[in-house]
Amino acid sequence: MTARILIIDDDEQLASAYREYLITRGHEVDCAQELEEAQTLLAHFPYSVVVTDLRLTRLGFGGFDLIKYIRELSLSTRIVVFTGYGWPEVTAEVSAQHVDAFLHKPTRLAEMADVVGTLTGAPR
Amino acid sequence: MTQRLLDQILAQPQTLSVRFQPIFDLQPGGSRVASLEGLIRGPKGTNFERADILFDYVRRKHAEDEVDRACITAISKAVAELPFDCRINLNVHASTLGKGEFVEFFRTQMHELVLPLDRFILEIVEHSPTHNVPGLISNINALRQLGVRIALDDIGLGNSNYRTMLDCRPDYFKVDAFFVDGVSTDPDRRGVVKSIMCLAHDMGGTVIAEGVRTHEDLSTLMRMGVSSFQANLLCPAIPPQELLAKDFDGMIKTEPAQSRASHSRTYSHETIDSYSFHN
Repeated sequence: MTARILIIDDDEQLASAYREYLITRGHEVDCAQELEEAQTLLAHFPYSVVVTDLRLTRLGFGGFDLIKYIRELSLSTRIVVFTGYGWPEVTAEVSAQHVDAFLHKPTRLAEMADVVGTLTGAPR
Repeated sequence: MTQRLLDQILAQPQTLSVRFQPIFDLQPGGSRVASLEGLIRGPKGTNFERADILFDYVRRKHAEDEVDRACITAISKAVAELPFDCRINLNVHASTLGKGEFVEFFRTQMHELVLPLDRFILEIVEHSPTHNVPGLISNINALRQLGVRIALDDIGLGNSNYRTMLDCRPDYFKVDAFFVDGVSTDPDRRGVVKSIMCLAHDMGGTVIAEGVRTHEDLSTLMRMGVSSFQANLLCPAIPPQELLAKDFDGMIKTEPAQSRASHSRTYSHETIDSYSFHN
């Protein structure tokens, strides 16, 4: 199922690689590199799935703020957390936020596409 | 990184694209382009190409002051290249306008480009409550002394409310498309527009209807007494070179304000289509 996806990662090249791959799977994909840019795009477009890193600022884990922001905007948007921080406390916090999927970096392009495909095709 | 893009815009305002959208004064006895609103598009190929997204982001970054100045710089440079002498509308956040040094910035900018200050209409956009109201009022008064006129954007929405009208005493009341769209079929919308017209009349201002999308709404508004319009139906925001290619049947004034009447033309409902300049 074709869907509008937002990828949020401060690594512009990495986000761009996922974006290009997801476009080949028929999705419409935007990228954001920082918290405020992501919030702006989320306020203007109805995304089916948001794939977000957790560390969006130099000073902290802006991703958790973003997850709360997404939930305030829409309960139907699916959230995929995508991070290199697999510490138990981070994993526990992610679980508490009721995200739809948790991927550890590095993640293969096909795996990301499969997760996104499953979430966009499945009813909530 | 996005912050890098913002820094680039601030360091090089020319990375912003300038568009102009005419504001028409449609009168039974003679119509004209009353002014041109200078509008900004962000760098091509970025998320900020769309102005609403660019300025939403700018507000989240609390960079309104710097970006407003960059936009004014970019637009005024484009204005200096135009062969027209008509009035120019420029958008500015209330928070920027209320800053102590804004008047001097504006005066210096226009002086350097040899642009008369009385050509400009500053459109106040209000997306958050104004904290420095005394500074805002003081700067508005100072700018008025220099010949600058004041418009209030998005009247009726957000913080463009009665309080702001009294603080700013606008010369132009820009009615948002939300109230205009569907005015021909919705009596309650007509009621809202009438109340704004009444306020504008009592305060000595002019109503400008924004975002009219249908001829039915346009005709309804004209019958109600609105004569100033800014709408894609009439002409979308276009780059300066496109503006030069259109002569609008001579409706853009090219000489001093005193002889404005010589470029008016007769308006009739049958010629509404002739004001659509999309091609």
